[in-house]
Amino acid sequence: MYEKSPTNEWISNVVRYRKFSGSWAWLLHRITGLGLTVYVLVHINTLASLQEGPEAFNAKMQVFMQPHWLFAAWILFGLVIYHTLNGIRIVIIDFGRGAKYHKQLLYGAIAVGLVVFLWMGYIIFFGHSDHDFLSYAVSFFS
Amino acid sequence: MKIKLRLFRYNPETDTKPHYKTYEVEADKKEKVLDLLHRVKWEQDGTLAFRRSCAHGICGSCAMTVNGENMLTCEALIGNLKKQHTITIDPLPSLPVIKDLIVNMDTFYQKYTVIKPYLINNNPPPPTERLQSMQEQRLIDESTWCIMCGACSTSCPSNWSNPDFLGPAALLKAYRFIFDSRDDGAGERLNILDHSDGVWRCRTIFNCVEACPKEIDVTFHLSQLKKAIVTREI
Repeated sequence: MYEKSPTNEWISNVVRYRKFSGSWAWLLHRITGLGLTVYVLVHINTLASLQEGPEAFNAKMQVFMQPHWLFAAWILFGLVIYHTLNGIRIVIIDFGRGAKYHKQLLYGAIAVGLVVFLWMGYIIFFGHSDHDFLSYAVSFFS
Repeated sequence: MKIKLRLFRYNPETDTKPHYKTYEVEADKKEKVLDLLHRVKWEQDGTLAFRRSCAHGICGSCAMTVNGENMLTCEALIGNLKKQHTITIDPLPSLPVIKDLIVNMDTFYQKYTVIKPYLINNNPPPPTERLQSMQEQRLIDESTWCIMCGACSTSCPSNWSNPDFLGPAALLKAYRFIFDSRDDGAGERLNILDHSDGVWRCRTIFNCVEACPKEIDVTFHLSQLKKAIVTREI
């Protein structure tokens, strides 16, 4: 009998098997989950500079205000919004009757996510005259 | 139309590794993929090995991966395939290959035995039959359509990454008995399913639903099992 090693087989199956909307939703959920895990490490590293006083922290925050870091923050927001909305979709599937309309739930999540994502892009890049996202966010939520 | 049939070949007596062999066959769009396999075996290469029995979507023996998607070859019309001029056929994924397109389904059937796929009822049987209302029957009707072809369990990424996962087919069978009004074994079956290799390894990917030739909404039934586990009384 011919048997592949389980790891090789798993990876080649994921790559080769036809993807349906549910498979894409699952793959994206996993990829965004990994992205968020990496972000948590960056986040903890940034917060660790608080131990060195406010100047060190502010210096780091200045770095994150540079345009390419703002763009990274926007992409990060994309990961968060997809992971959140698809997470809600999974809860509805598991504990509601969502399995009956899982495709519509996914398309709905993508539509809502895209609108919120673009809206956040506007806030980040054009929302404030001096592009100060943090103070804008603080004033927005207070 | 001319069709290139790219078939997974493996002979345990002569091959160390499987390979693909391409055959050219003449076919009509209204024919089934199984017809092409027959044509190759009967007219071109008698050494080709594959399973089939009824050829009418009832016995479940001809499930294979056609163009990267699990289906019954006897139900797969060539005209309905996305890619028609070159059709690639593999054996069901994640099961050991015995020869060519034939897989060893031992583990698939062993998983059924785990969930006790038989009526558990210690009451003495009534003089006639154990009656059900129409509503009670409707609850389990869809789950009884399963023909145990294995297309769902072998399409499941959770099963690919963890061969110990019970898989959608066995879990659907568990649903069929757990929600059967005549059965008293729900508690012990739910205890078996409430495990990391049980129903919780279902990640709602829906490959099983796409693969099922009987169009059973497997994931919906699994979600009902999850609900039954978290809402049951201790």
